[in-house]
Amino acid sequence: MRAATGAGLALLVAMPLLAQAAGPDYGEFGIFGLDRRGAVWIAAQLHLLFAAFVLGVPMFAVVIEAIGIFTDNERYDKLAKEFTRLLLVAYSATAIWGAILVFFISTLYPRFWVYLTAIFAPSMWLYAALFFFESFTLYLYYYGWDAWKKGAAKKFHWGLGILLNIWGTIVMFIANGWLTYMMSPPPDVTVDTAPQTVQLWSAINNATWMPINIHRLIANVVFGGAIVGAYAAYRFLTSESDEERAHYDWMGYTGNLIAIGALIVLPFAGYWLGREIYEFSQQMGITMMGGFMSWLWIIQAFLIGVLFLAGNYYLWIGMGRIPGAERFQPYIKWMLLVLVVGVIVWATPNTMIASRDEVAAMGGQQHPFLGVLGVMSAKNTAVNLMILTTFLSFMLYRRANKEPVVSWAKTGTMLQGAAFAIAAVIVVFYGIYGYFVTAIVRIGFSVYQVLAVLATIIFVILIDSAMLRGAKSRGEIQWGKMPARSQYALLILAVTFTWLMGLMGFARSGIRQHWHVYEVIRDTSEQAFTPALGPAATMISICVAIFFGLVGMIFWLGGLAEKSVYEETAK
Amino acid sequence: MTNLKILLTIIGTLAVYTLVANIIPQVQSAVPREIVLTAETTPEELVAIGEELYAGVGGCTACHGLGTRAPDLVGVAGSVCETRVPGQDCKTYLWESLVNPTAYVVEGFQPIMLDQSRTIVQPQLWALVAFLQDQGGTVTVNADDFASALAEDTAPETAPADAAPVDPASIDPVAVARNTGCFACHMYSGEGVELGPPFEEAVGKDPEYIRRAIEDPGADIAEGYESVAGLMAPGLAGIMSPAELDALIQFLVTGDPGGGDDGDDGSGDGSGE
Amino acid sequence: MNLKHPFWQGVLVLVLAYVVIKWGIGYLLPMIGVPSAPVPSTVVTQYMLTVLVGVLLYMSAESDRWAAFKAPMVRTMVDPGRRALRGILLVGLPLLVGWVAYQGVKPSFGAPATLRSIHPAPPNSITFRGATMELAGLENPLRHSGDMEAHLAVGNAVYTRNCVPCHGDLLDGQGHFASMLTPVPADFTNTGTIVQLTESYVFWRIAKGGPGLPNEGAPWNSAMPAWETILDENETWSVILFLYERTGSTPRTWEEEGAEGEAH
Repeated sequence: MRAATGAGLALLVAMPLLAQAAGPDYGEFGIFGLDRRGAVWIAAQLHLLFAAFVLGVPMFAVVIEAIGIFTDNERYDKLAKEFTRLLLVAYSATAIWGAILVFFISTLYPRFWVYLTAIFAPSMWLYAALFFFESFTLYLYYYGWDAWKKGAAKKFHWGLGILLNIWGTIVMFIANGWLTYMMSPPPDVTVDTAPQTVQLWSAINNATWMPINIHRLIANVVFGGAIVGAYAAYRFLTSESDEERAHYDWMGYTGNLIAIGALIVLPFAGYWLGREIYEFSQQMGITMMGGFMSWLWIIQAFLIGVLFLAGNYYLWIGMGRIPGAERFQPYIKWMLLVLVVGVIVWATPNTMIASRDEVAAMGGQQHPFLGVLGVMSAKNTAVNLMILTTFLSFMLYRRANKEPVVSWAKTGTMLQGAAFAIAAVIVVFYGIYGYFVTAIVRIGFSVYQVLAVLATIIFVILIDSAMLRGAKSRGEIQWGKMPARSQYALLILAVTFTWLMGLMGFARSGIRQHWHVYEVIRDTSEQAFTPALGPAATMISICVAIFFGLVGMIFWLGGLAEKSVYEETAK
Repeated sequence: MTNLKILLTIIGTLAVYTLVANIIPQVQSAVPREIVLTAETTPEELVAIGEELYAGVGGCTACHGLGTRAPDLVGVAGSVCETRVPGQDCKTYLWESLVNPTAYVVEGFQPIMLDQSRTIVQPQLWALVAFLQDQGGTVTVNADDFASALAEDTAPETAPADAAPVDPASIDPVAVARNTGCFACHMYSGEGVELGPPFEEAVGKDPEYIRRAIEDPGADIAEGYESVAGLMAPGLAGIMSPAELDALIQFLVTGDPGGGDDGDDGSGDGSGE
Repeated sequence: MNLKHPFWQGVLVLVLAYVVIKWGIGYLLPMIGVPSAPVPSTVVTQYMLTVLVGVLLYMSAESDRWAAFKAPMVRTMVDPGRRALRGILLVGLPLLVGWVAYQGVKPSFGAPATLRSIHPAPPNSITFRGATMELAGLENPLRHSGDMEAHLAVGNAVYTRNCVPCHGDLLDGQGHFASMLTPVPADFTNTGTIVQLTESYVFWRIAKGGPGLPNEGAPWNSAMPAWETILDENETWSVILFLYERTGSTPRTWEEEGAEGEAH
C-alpha cells in the first residue's frame, strides 16, 4: 500500500515508551481458531452493539412514555414499559461483554493497556461510578413504573427516564474519548510523549471526539428503533391472538418510523466526522475514502439500498391495512421505479470488476457511459431523490385514511406537491450542473441538494399537520392485519442496521491501519495488518449472528415474563 | 416453523452481505515492515536494511539507476566513493552526500537531490551508507557510528506541531517547489525537467486532485505520463508544512505564483556543480 | 400469455431491463453517438438483481397482486394438467443452474483479470541485434539525415508488409486479425498512443514486442512479435517516421520544450 509506505517514512527506531515496562507486549490467544485481534474484535463489537441497545432503547422508551403522558393513552405507557423490561437483561449483557473486552485487552495487549490506563485511569473510575448510577436509575425506573403511575409521581418517574439517558450518554462520551484518542491523538502527543504527561482532558477532547459522540448518539436512536422493530416483528410472528398482533404491529410501525426518521439526519453527522478525519490527517482521510477502504463504500451503498427498499416496502404493505389507501396504490410502482433506479445509480462502482475482454472493450476499468454514474454528483442526486421518495411514501401512508376538512385542502395538497416537485428539480439540477464545475463548487452543491430536501420535509409536514386537523376518517387502521412478509422486512432492516454498524466500525477502526494510537503507538503484533473486506465481513457477520442469538434469547425471556403475568391475571 | 423462518431470514441476510463482501476484489493493507536497528545489528543486516530503503521508502530509485537524472549507484558506489573527495574516506563521503547532497553533485548532473535526513532517520541513513559501501567496496559502518546516531536520534522527524499561524501569502510556492525538488521532474516557466507534467498543466484542475497527486502520486496518472508512473516519490507532502502544501496547491491550480515571483533566478540555483 | 397478468408483467420488466442493460447501453447508445461500451457481467448481474428485487417487492407489496403473481407458479407445481411442463421445469431448472455454475468455474483460455499497464516504463538501454542502445535521450536519426521521402517510402513498405494484418491499413488498429486479439492492437490514430510517446519508446516497443514488456505490462498478454529479428535498425526508424507522418502527429520529444512553458 502506497499510503502505508508513506507512514513508514516515520518509522521509529525503537519504542522507548513501551520499552520501560517489563513483560511481553502481547498475550497469546488461540481459542475457537481466533487470534488475539479476533477475540478483541468480537468482544468489542458485541459490547458496542449491546451498549447501543441500552442507550438507544431508553431514549425511545422516554419519548414513548412522554407521548403516553401527553396523550393520556395507556397504550404508549405499556409499550415504554415493555422496552424497559428488555433493557434489564440487555444491560447485564452489556456489562458482561464489557468485562470480557477489558479482560481481553488487558491480557492480550498488556503494554497497550498499561499505556491507556496511564492516561485515562481517572476517567475509567468515573466510568465505573456512572455505570453504577445508571444501573440504579434503571432499576428505579423499571421497578417504580407501577408505583409511580399517577400525577406528579408519574412526572418524577419520567424524570428518572431522562436521568437514565443522561447517565448513559455521559458513559458513552467517556468511552468515546478513549477510542477517539486511538484514532486522533492530540497533535502534541508524539511517539516519545510519556503517557503520564498527557493531559486527560486534551486526550478525551480530541479532534474526532465530538463528531463521534453526535454520530453515535443519533445512530443509537436509529438502532434502538430498529431493534424495537425486530422485537415487535418477532412477537408479531409468534403471537397467537389478534389483540397481541395488533399491539406488536403498532409497535413495529413505531420502531420503524423512529429508525428511518433518525436515519435521514445521520449522514450529516457522518459528513462532519469525515471532515474532521480529513482535517486531522489527510492520509487517514484518503485511506478511508479513496484508498484502501474505497470499496467498503460500495458495500455500504448496497446496504443503504436495502434499507431504503425494505423501509418503503414496509410502508406500502402497511397501506393494505388502512381503509382508503387503495387510491394511492397506482403511485407505488412509480415510487418503486425511482427507488430501483436510485439504488442502481447509488451502487454503480466507479472502477468496475471486469474480465480482460470487458476491460478491453471498455478501454479501461471505467465504463465510458456508466462511469458518469460512478461519481459523487450522480450518487448525491440518487440518494436525495430516494430520501424524497421515502418521505412521500410516509406522507401517503399518513394521509391514507384521512380526508382533510379544511377549506384550503385542495390548495394545501397542491402546495405539498409543488414542494416535492421543486425539491426534485433542485436536486436534479444541481446533480447535472455538478458535472460542469470543479470539485470545490460541487461539494457545495450537495449542501444545496440536502437543504432542498430537508426544507421540503419540514414544509410538507407543517402543511400536513395544519391540514389534517380534525380530518374526517375513512376508517381506523386495522392494526394486526399485516401479512407476515412485512415483519420479515422489519427483521431484515434490523439485521442490516446492525451489520452496517459493524461495517462502519471496521472502517473507523481500520483507517488507523497498523497503529494502536495513530502515529503514536505502533501495533507490532502479527495482526497489525488491516484485513481485506471479505474477512472483515465474515467477522462482522459472526458478531451480528452472536448478537441476534443473544437478543433472541432476551426477546424470548421478555415473552416469558409477559406470559407469566398473563397467566397470573387469568387465574 | 415461524422461528425457523426468522432464523433463516437473519442468517440469509448475513450470508448475502458476507458473500457480497467476499466477491469483490480483496485488498489487504500491509504493514510497512518495522526496521529495528540496535547497536548489535550486524553489517549484513545493515546492508539488507539499506537495500530495502534504497529500493523502497527511500525513493532512491526514482532518480538513481535511470542514468539520466542521477548517477547509477548499484554495483559501483562502494568502489568509487573513496576517490571522490581527496582526504575523505568512503564512509564520510557517502554520509555527507546523503545529508548535504548539493555539495557533492557528480559532474554532469543537476543538484536536484534532497537532504535525505529530512525523510529518513539517522540510523537508517547509516544502513543506507552500509548498503552503498557494499556496492563494490567493504562495509566499514560500525556500531560506533550507529550508537551515536541512536543516541541523538531516537525519534523520527515529525511535522512541527507549532500552531503559530503562517500567513499563506508570505509563502513563495515556487521556492517551496524548488526546495522540495519538484523541478527535478516537472517544469515551470522554463525551469526544471520535462519528465512529469509541467506545472502549467495543473492550472484549472481540481485542488483536491492536485493534493492527491502530491500525497499519493500513484493514485492518478496524468494522461500521457503512464510511462513515468511510479517515479514520483510518495511522502513529498510530508517534507513541507501544511501551509506550504496549501500554498503550492493554490499556486498550481491558479497558476499564480503570488507575491514571491522569482521565476527568473531558476538558472542561478542550477549552477552549483 | 396475458400481459395484464402480474406474473408476465414481472417477466416482461425483467426481460426489458436485461435488454436495456445488456444491449441498450452497450450497442444502442454508440449508434446515437453517445460513447459507451458493453457492460461488464458483474455489473449486469448487480443491476439485474436490483431489478429482480424491485419486481418482487412490487408484486408482494399488495396481497391480491402477490397472490396473483404466485398463482401461475403454484398452479404449475400442483395442477395435474401441467405434468409435462412441471417435469420440464424440474429437470430444466437444475440443469440451467448447473450450466451457469459450470460456466463460472470452467477453465478458460483467457488470462486472469489483471491491472495491465498499457505504457509501462521503458528500460534505460536495450540490446538491439547485439548492440547496446541507450534509449534515454535517443531520437530518430533519420529525421536529420537522408531523404525524408525515401525514408517514408521504406516505412510505408515495411508497414504494408508487416503491420497491416493487425494494425490495419488505416493505422487504426482494425486490421484483419484485430478482432481475434486481446488486448486489441494499438490504434495509432488515437491520441493515447504514439502521440504520447517518444520515438525511442516506439522503437523499443517494435524491437522487443510483447515478450519484451516488463511484468506490469503483462508480457504474456500481447500478440506483438519482437521485430528485431526481422526489421533492421533503419527499417524500424523508417516505419516509425511513417507512423507519425501518416497519422499527422508528432512524437513526444525529450527536452527543450521549455519554450512552451516560457510562454505562460
